[in-house]
Amino acid sequence: MHSISAVILAGGEGSRLRPLTKHRPKPLLPAATTPILEHVFDQLLEAGVTDITVVVGYGRNRVQAHFGPTYRNVPLTYVTQEKQLGSGHALLAVESEVNGTTLVVNGDQIVESQIIGDVLETHDTDSAATLGLLNRADVESYGGVIFRNEEVTDIVENPQDERPYRFNAGVYAFEPEIFDAIRTAKVRAGEQSLIDAITELLESDAHVGGVISEGLWVDATYPWDLLDVSFDLFEAGLVAGSHDENVSDSATIHDSAVVREPVVIDADCEVGAGAVVGPYVCLGENTTVGSNTVVEQSVVDADTRIGDSATVIDCVTGVGVTVGDGTVIPGGRGDVRIGNRVFEDEYLGALLADRVADRGGSTYVPGAVVGPETFVEAGATVRGTVIEGTEVRS
Amino acid sequence: MCGIIGYTGTDGGVVDVLMTGLSGLEYRGYDSAGIAVANSSLAVHKKQGEVSALEGALPDESLGGVAGIGHTRWSTHGPPSDANAHPHEDCTGKVAVVHNGIIENYQELRTELEAGGHAFTSETDTEVIPHLIETAIETGATPEEAFREAVHRLEGSYAVAAVFSGSETVYTARNESPLVLGIGDEGHYLASDVPAFIEYTDLVVYLEDGQFARINPSGIVVTDEQGAVVETAVETIDWDPEDAGKSGYDHYMLKEIYEQPKAIRQCLRERVHELEGSVTVDELAELECGGPVQFVACGTSYHAALYGARLLRERGIPAQCFLASEYDVESIPVTKETVVVGVTQSGETADTVSALRAANRTGATTLALTNVVGSSAARECDHVMYIRAGPEIGVAATKTFASQQVALAMLSRVLSEECSTEFVEGLRDLPDQVQRVLDGSTVRAVAEAYEDANAYFFIGRGYNAPVALEGALKMKEITYKHAEGFAAGELKHGPLALVTEKTPVFALLTGSNISKTLGNVKEVEARDAPVVAVTDSPDEVGQYADYVLEVPEAGPWFTPILANIQLQLVSYWVANRMGRSIDKPRNLAKSVTVE
Repeated sequence: MHSISAVILAGGEGSRLRPLTKHRPKPLLPAATTPILEHVFDQLLEAGVTDITVVVGYGRNRVQAHFGPTYRNVPLTYVTQEKQLGSGHALLAVESEVNGTTLVVNGDQIVESQIIGDVLETHDTDSAATLGLLNRADVESYGGVIFRNEEVTDIVENPQDERPYRFNAGVYAFEPEIFDAIRTAKVRAGEQSLIDAITELLESDAHVGGVISEGLWVDATYPWDLLDVSFDLFEAGLVAGSHDENVSDSATIHDSAVVREPVVIDADCEVGAGAVVGPYVCLGENTTVGSNTVVEQSVVDADTRIGDSATVIDCVTGVGVTVGDGTVIPGGRGDVRIGNRVFEDEYLGALLADRVADRGGSTYVPGAVVGPETFVEAGATVRGTVIEGTEVRS
Repeated sequence: MCGIIGYTGTDGGVVDVLMTGLSGLEYRGYDSAGIAVANSSLAVHKKQGEVSALEGALPDESLGGVAGIGHTRWSTHGPPSDANAHPHEDCTGKVAVVHNGIIENYQELRTELEAGGHAFTSETDTEVIPHLIETAIETGATPEEAFREAVHRLEGSYAVAAVFSGSETVYTARNESPLVLGIGDEGHYLASDVPAFIEYTDLVVYLEDGQFARINPSGIVVTDEQGAVVETAVETIDWDPEDAGKSGYDHYMLKEIYEQPKAIRQCLRERVHELEGSVTVDELAELECGGPVQFVACGTSYHAALYGARLLRERGIPAQCFLASEYDVESIPVTKETVVVGVTQSGETADTVSALRAANRTGATTLALTNVVGSSAARECDHVMYIRAGPEIGVAATKTFASQQVALAMLSRVLSEECSTEFVEGLRDLPDQVQRVLDGSTVRAVAEAYEDANAYFFIGRGYNAPVALEGALKMKEITYKHAEGFAAGELKHGPLALVTEKTPVFALLTGSNISKTLGNVKEVEARDAPVVAVTDSPDEVGQYADYVLEVPEAGPWFTPILANIQLQLVSYWVANRMGRSIDKPRNLAKSVTVE
């Protein structure tokens, strides 16, 4: 069998997803109920990749413990990037592990296998690099590429001008000269970026190719995007969201509970009498939904306990969260404050980070962001941004 | 305490299979290793040290051959040396033998053989076997007859395999030592444990005590003691051999520590029901418990058993713990009503299996609590409950201890037929709470501060007492430093004399016993000993401790599981700073298959 090696860059924290990244990096945050990185693995395998090297850094213990030494019988090699000094720096960490053509993707963005397959098919060793490209309107939020006559002539991060950019899907096939290009390219703001290295290749007259593909490409920039990322997976059919495929055999669902598709209910979940779960709900493993509780349009991560007679709508939770009996998260749009920025009218009922403990009977104003290990007293009203370890009184 | 492997196949890969197998068995012992391959003559290579040392000693050219055997040794008779490494040969160099176990009558056999003119080159008990075979061959026996004749002379425990020059067959037999056969596409295998050949096949046949097998490239024939052919069941191994990789961690031990949330999830899966407030263990559906419970176990498993016994006593069931090597049915009241529970990770711990065998003879009900499906303990007992921790490679048990604790907590509810929603909630909260300990642990500072200590003491009361013992055992095993665990109240009855400013005391301060144990903490503080508190109440105990290692609040039954994780990490990081051989501590082996 022809062997195809892939490198996944998964060393960064993804700090814009704080406070969900307190204990684990963005690649481990859930899309539906499985870590984003697991979807990345799936798409790589689908495209025919035969071995995978994962660059880990922030929260690497969590990544390694989650996936172990193999994924679906494909060996995983972990390489540690001790300090996260850019995507080029991350790739340098694997220089001694790879030889020949290397496929490189990001561990925190889900890219459908077709895009990966197109890059592999298009690339030949006469090109120093081949880039996966999409026709998308939101180029200015990510990266743009000028692509003419099968050749890339310019690559720009967050382009602001009106040139005819293609969207950079972040899927690359590289020949070994990329490593020298990373070293030669200027260090900017203390970081070595892959984009600068590709620019370096272009300036050295190396051929950089590309291929325009179609397919799902999703990325969560902010915590509430985890809802859309999961729902996009349903829409694209990457996750069926059906009873047959996505409700685990080891989950216990009371006969009188109602489960509406699309839905994912993972292993060891328990859903009590009269509860309504779905549509558009993802329950991570070992989660409990109490009697007569309603959960809609929410991504609930593992080990979360939702009590009886609670309402949870448009909600994202971390792991080990407790939502007490009778708590109401009514959902809808609200203003979300992250750092000094306010995002107006985002769909977010509430964001509860890891191990928030809500004692019940509380109400959440849409847009509430609650930091890890926060304790919410019974009957409290929670609004705005609550930092880690706070006690919210009623 | 050794590992054996055998292979016969026409694909030309004998040496590769043997070397891969030996690497897969290294956890069983590793002071020397060797292989023998049968051609027109025998090629035997052996070397003191780890398997890699043997690899370096192999000739560059191919050894050829179809049948071969290999061995990793952990010394019982004679010190580690090239001469004492297996395989052992007869005087003529026509037969080579590997063996795991102890031959109790070897002295007598050796004297007899030496009187008959046989020259011995090692101090091992094993070497009598090739010479016994040689004797039989001299009288005209076929290799198979000679092998059987020799094995019949042996008393004790053995898994033994032999190859003959000019033969494509490997002969093997077992008695009270583990042995499993593998059926592959290219050839056939035998080994002490499945990881040795799982890379090649997942189809296995477990050999029973007293059985023999003849293995050649075309097939496996199992026979009983009289030589009659026995029908055997072929089983499929369903775990992933690659679980044996280190997945980016420096040591298996650290990997296994971080795997604990997953291991506990697997242990609980489909066994706990929060909405019903119940625990069910399918394997134990037929188990009835009318009488007292006796636990038998060794080492870390014994500490888990202490925890299990306490849980049962709390439910009103009389329960005692015995070190398996001290379990003497003649002097311990065992009746038909007694349930004897053997706790053994590998299921091959000779002391525990032998205690269970003795219990079986008395007519008591026996139950094995083990991690290894189809292990000797599992097959010996009337009932078996699996802890489902997945393979553990690090010699120092970590995740299997946590899984044993969780399994014993469930067992306590199965045996007492009483459970509560609170208890089930507590169990289901464990994976996340363990993750929380792992995410937030600050032990590296503690390890740095006390790396140079003269000794370490661990104290705990009630459910925390076994954790104190386990914390000390872990520290001893991998740092080689003196460490002792005590029930907190015992400290003042003697051990306090050992406490100085150079002996940090790790105090387990959780649940309702905090104030009493704090009294003991003050006793050691008065002797200027540094105190590390492992606690769910940092506000209450912080002022008495030099360092605080926090665990989440959980029920009294479950905080010991969480507290232990902090102690595992302390030992790991102290040993790491000292540069110890963490996964393979000196003088120790993972699975102790000798009594």
